[in-house]
Amino acid sequence: MNARSQVFELTLEGRQADEAVASLFHTVLFHRCLGKFLYNNESSYSVSTVGFTDVDCDFIDLTYVCCSSNSLNRQVKQEISNFSEQLRSNESNGSGQISLEFFQRKPSRYLFLQPECIPWEVWTVRLQLITLENEVERQLCRERVGDHLTDKILYITEVMNRQDYLPKMPSKSDTDLVFDTSLPDVQPYLFKMNYSISGPSSGTSVGTTMRKFIKESLNL
Amino acid sequence: MKKDFKMRLSKNDKKELDKFTKFLALKATEVIVQSRLGEKVSTPCKPHATGPDWFNLNINDLPEVVIEAKKVLNSDLFLTKKFPFCIEISLRTAEGDNMVLETWCARLLDPYDTGTNNNGQNIYNRMGILLKSLVSVTRVTPAYKLSRKQGPDSYVICYRMYMDEPLCHCLGEGHKQIRVGQICTAIGTVQLSCTYRTKMTISPTKTSRDNSLMLKSDHFNTNLSPRNRRYSSSDDRTSSLSETMKIGAFADRKRKHFEEPQLDLPFCTFFADRISLGDHPEEEEEESDLSTSPKEEDRLSCSGNETTKNKENNGNNVQQQQEMSMVSTGDDFIMVDLKTPFAKPSGEKFELTRFFREWQQAPLLETFKELPPIEATDLQKQLETFESDLNEFDSIVQTLCQSSPNNN
Repeated sequence: MNARSQVFELTLEGRQADEAVASLFHTVLFHRCLGKFLYNNESSYSVSTVGFTDVDCDFIDLTYVCCSSNSLNRQVKQEISNFSEQLRSNESNGSGQISLEFFQRKPSRYLFLQPECIPWEVWTVRLQLITLENEVERQLCRERVGDHLTDKILYITEVMNRQDYLPKMPSKSDTDLVFDTSLPDVQPYLFKMNYSISGPSSGTSVGTTMRKFIKESLNL
Repeated sequence: MKKDFKMRLSKNDKKELDKFTKFLALKATEVIVQSRLGEKVSTPCKPHATGPDWFNLNINDLPEVVIEAKKVLNSDLFLTKKFPFCIEISLRTAEGDNMVLETWCARLLDPYDTGTNNNGQNIYNRMGILLKSLVSVTRVTPAYKLSRKQGPDSYVICYRMYMDEPLCHCLGEGHKQIRVGQICTAIGTVQLSCTYRTKMTISPTKTSRDNSLMLKSDHFNTNLSPRNRRYSSSDDRTSSLSETMKIGAFADRKRKHFEEPQLDLPFCTFFADRISLGDHPEEEEEESDLSTSPKEEDRLSCSGNETTKNKENNGNNVQQQQEMSMVSTGDDFIMVDLKTPFAKPSGEKFELTRFFREWQQAPLLETFKELPPIEATDLQKQLETFESDLNEFDSIVQTLCQSSPNNN
């Protein structure tokens, strides 16, 4: 099965990176989080209530909504901060991407092997950092990035309301194959976040990567 | 195909779907209205709650919104697919101008079979997702930012609900539409959308506001003084200062009590240097005792009854009206110019009191006839406060005198 994939590209200032990624990923996660499942028996369950919170951005003209779950928000914030720190460091050329991937586990045929992870939806945000000269430019950038994120949030809601594939509601024993049940207040579909940063000398094209790979192989 | 589709729908299923759809519309209304209250919303998760919330989403219920929404939704017009259910968000400025910002529209269209899973649980879950989308979208339309900046001095955001086609022409040129999402159910396709204004220029309607309140920084330029302004406006009718002081510039001269021979000039001591009013200051003081004459008392008690009557009749409006009277007669009040520092120390309080009373009893303009008069006790208190602040006024005037080149 092929995973659905959505890619967003943004050009912004370094200090806007965290909020830009957070606004998009939290909007996605808000839609992909359910309440905790309270099973009555193997197949019958009730679902608890999810709360939500408005978040005002400091560096972007935008307010977005996230789940009112501290544990989930801490987890997301940590991943985004790691990405943002590397992106803004001297080792980076100012471009990089971070992905939010939803997957489900498929039990392996062999008991001793780890279950296989099959992604079903991937959201990628590609960032290109820029440097601004003055406050006027900064103000314009605040508004511009806010407008771009607005369009992307509208696109996310459009995708969420398509009748696309979602993993089936599992029976009690299979819950962990579909949902992350480790959080105390919400139950998101299983997800993970990956990121990559382009170094100052390396390009992003396949050709450059291959050249580098061959060079390294020859040196060995 | 449509027939088959309807055949498959049992009565119970239809009842369930009708209920889901109504609650979706109700919760959507709450989400939209609460997002425009100007405050950030935060509702907690309820992982151990026993009573489940609709669509497993914690949306507060504001009782007045529920009542308003139910009034419209209970008509069942929504479920008959004749009309969409609309929530209009508008902006009202402090001046009373209105501008419609956006119209949210919940519509039920004819059903069609998409071949997807349309069981009750699946639709319920999708409605939950649709509501989450609505929560996210309400934060990114232009009206959200405006609603966060609202205030009683600038503008407030208002809402209204109706069952009709959305009035898009109210949204000006270049309005845009967002489709929040749609769900196919057996009773019809539920569609949520928003049409919003993109041009935020408000064209104020001409209001009949009184622009007489003159704001000026050059208080000591005698040519521009409000006193001169009033005199000049009544120049065509009056030839002497004394007449001007007796009759308000725009007052109705035919009023009975103004024909009474109250010839003493209020504040004549202020003008002692300029006008000759006779050389008997003692008489002035004696005349000032007239304020306690029976006639005066009669009139005062009369006006006191009116105030109580007004208080009884209008309740909360009284205070507002009193404020209005202060504003609308602000020009005349400025005429006093807080001149107690220049008044003679003896009898200044009575003179001021008398002036206030006379001013109060002066023939009213048609507009102000309904306003209640100030009670005598309040007036006395007010004057006492002014008196206690005398030093402060003195010092202000002195500093102004020192800094103004026009003043000698």
